[in-house]
Amino acid sequence: MRGHSFGPLATVLAGLCLAAALAGPAFAGAARTVTVATDATWPPMEMVDASKKIVGFDIDYLTAVAKEAGFTPSFKNTAWDGIFAGLAAGRYDMIASSVTITEERKKQYDFSDPYINVGQILVVPKADAVKALAGLKGKKVGAQIGTTGAMEVKKIEGVELKTYDEIGLAFEDMAAGRIAGVVCDEPTAAHYALQRTEYKAKFKIVGEPFTQESYGFVVKKGDQELVDLLNKGIKAVKAKKIDEQLRKKWLR
Amino acid sequence: MGDPTEPPVIEVGDGAAIPLKRDIGLFSAWRVAFFGAIAAVTYLAITRPDPYLRILLFVPDGILVTFEVTVAAILLALVIGLFTGLGRLAKNRLVNGVASLYVEVIRGIPLLVQIFYIYYALGRIVRIPDLYSAVIAMAICYGAYMGEIFRAGIQSIPRGQTEAARSLGMTQTQAMTHVIIPQAFRVVLPPIGNEFIALLKDSSLVSILAVSDLLRRGREFAAESFSYFETYTVIALIYLALTLFFSKLIGLLEERFGADKRAA
Repeated sequence: MRGHSFGPLATVLAGLCLAAALAGPAFAGAARTVTVATDATWPPMEMVDASKKIVGFDIDYLTAVAKEAGFTPSFKNTAWDGIFAGLAAGRYDMIASSVTITEERKKQYDFSDPYINVGQILVVPKADAVKALAGLKGKKVGAQIGTTGAMEVKKIEGVELKTYDEIGLAFEDMAAGRIAGVVCDEPTAAHYALQRTEYKAKFKIVGEPFTQESYGFVVKKGDQELVDLLNKGIKAVKAKKIDEQLRKKWLR
Repeated sequence: MGDPTEPPVIEVGDGAAIPLKRDIGLFSAWRVAFFGAIAAVTYLAITRPDPYLRILLFVPDGILVTFEVTVAAILLALVIGLFTGLGRLAKNRLVNGVASLYVEVIRGIPLLVQIFYIYYALGRIVRIPDLYSAVIAMAICYGAYMGEIFRAGIQSIPRGQTEAARSLGMTQTQAMTHVIIPQAFRVVLPPIGNEFIALLKDSSLVSILAVSDLLRRGREFAAESFSYFETYTVIALIYLALTLFFSKLIGLLEERFGADKRAA
């Protein structure tokens, strides 16, 4: 074969191009790229659609925030279980994954301003007459590991908590009759109990949301610059009522 | 040694009274690892009770569940393995075919996929409680591997043994039960012990089914306290101590049955 070897010249050119690409944003002052971790198994806030794109309320919200604040988000689908550890290790810049602002989390990480209020709610099989979480004493209730839903179930004496890696697995277990209820955020509960065709006939939501929580974007402790950028964007989004449009689009 | 005119050298050892040369020495790999792991965990728990002592107080029921799953799975897998090994040696084409199909299929699917399948896919048809489906999945998977070990063990017994047993008037089954399998036991003990240790570690996969084993307890603790490094260090050390403990038990079994020495 006649040599198509471009040899050392090509390597040098490629290296220069790479250096320029990496240095470009820093020098040109172009839009900063912020890597965002999200656990895309939490519909309708973040999920993977049929074409394997990450979509959802959180995605659209953060994209709008980024547009107002002047940075480019790059989304990474990350398992919930290690999502905080990854942030602390610097694998990505922030988390946008329906993270409730709690005191314990605030000790280890910094939050942006709250961007939406939700509550935890209980989902049970349709045939069940129970009215609240306390009525499931002696039974098993599922929640996703490390979520505020799991923490709520733990607070009730006599209810056994089963933690799942994904909330979908918890609903699957409830469909199979292995657990008596699932506790999760209201939008997600609504998605599974009211919209999913295979679960619509089997599950119902009982009662009202029993907590008042706010979601915030999470950044590494001390990253004040990113927190300010996010807060600026959130203010602008709320002022322009983009958040209400997104609520209509994604939530119920 | 090997010189026919020299009288054979007989090594006399009687425990501490007249120790064998190789018994002297405090440090063996096993002792360093086992006591090192326990010392490390104790040291961490004493010098830094938060979070190490909290972790240690949180996980004991997980250790119990890991234990239960492992022991139940190994017992079931031994039974499945024995019948599979015999099945693959059977002259009956149907039995041989079924056993071989089982081995090939189960060896071809990853254990984690099997666990998911038996729990969720079959769970739609037959309701199986999570602990049982975890044990069944592990037993089915490891049964295939043990079947091959048993087959190799049985095949390693010289044909002369069967011939002698048959010529003494035993039936094939009697020969197998009373002559072949007891001898094969010595041969298969080291590999089976190996599988036992591997099963203990693979039992951590059942945490994916929300079974509250050691790994899941550790993950739950880490998710709420954000102390990932400390938690996984303790979990790893506990698993190490458990596997070393069992490997010692297997070693003692091997010594008891002479499986740690050459055959003749």
